[in-house]
Amino acid sequence: MVLLLGIHFPDSKPVIKALRSFYGIGPQIAAKIMAKHYITPLARMGSLENKQVLDLTADLTGMTIENEARRQLRRNIERLRDIKCYRGMRHALGYPVRGQQTQTQIKTAKKLNKVDRRG
Amino acid sequence: MRPTLFLCKRSVWKGPNIVPLPIVRPKPGEKQVPIRTQARAATILPNFVGLKFQVHNGKIYVDVTVTENMVGHKLGEFAPTRKPFSYKASKNK
Repeated sequence: MVLLLGIHFPDSKPVIKALRSFYGIGPQIAAKIMAKHYITPLARMGSLENKQVLDLTADLTGMTIENEARRQLRRNIERLRDIKCYRGMRHALGYPVRGQQTQTQIKTAKKLNKVDRRG
Repeated sequence: MRPTLFLCKRSVWKGPNIVPLPIVRPKPGEKQVPIRTQARAATILPNFVGLKFQVHNGKIYVDVTVTENMVGHKLGEFAPTRKPFSYKASKNK
């Protein structure tokens, strides 16, 4: 078990997967972080040294991830809504934002495009 | 974090879409006459803040007061061109 930012990861878990389990870290940023700390792409959590784990934790605490990233996303949408621009109105209505058709198939937009978006 | 996202919008060498608008600064104590325009693609510049515009939506001129958050958007984004759908029950079938 390795503790990273308050979450326990099993030793067999690949490091890239563990990093990507945080909201706000995708394949590119995860690869960048791993390259910075000389971790091979296929490394698993169990193979990390103590210092590397501390470095990773220090790096992650300084980034906008998890709830902070979600809050940032919501702030951006709220800004669009408050200035009453087209994109903000489409978010408020739950419709597609970028000019897609709405006659059929707007399930994704209905699910995601909200002012109070969960992330 | 992702500068390409902003750079892909428009070529950097072009700069923002600056349209020559007849902007007249009101003297203190006077009301500003709204600026009528059909240039929906004009970028809102920082010196527009506080001005009133009347932006054409294809039919009428919509009143828009520019605030600080609107800088960088286009004038047309604040004048919707489509009427929202509303169901009207018909009397005679």
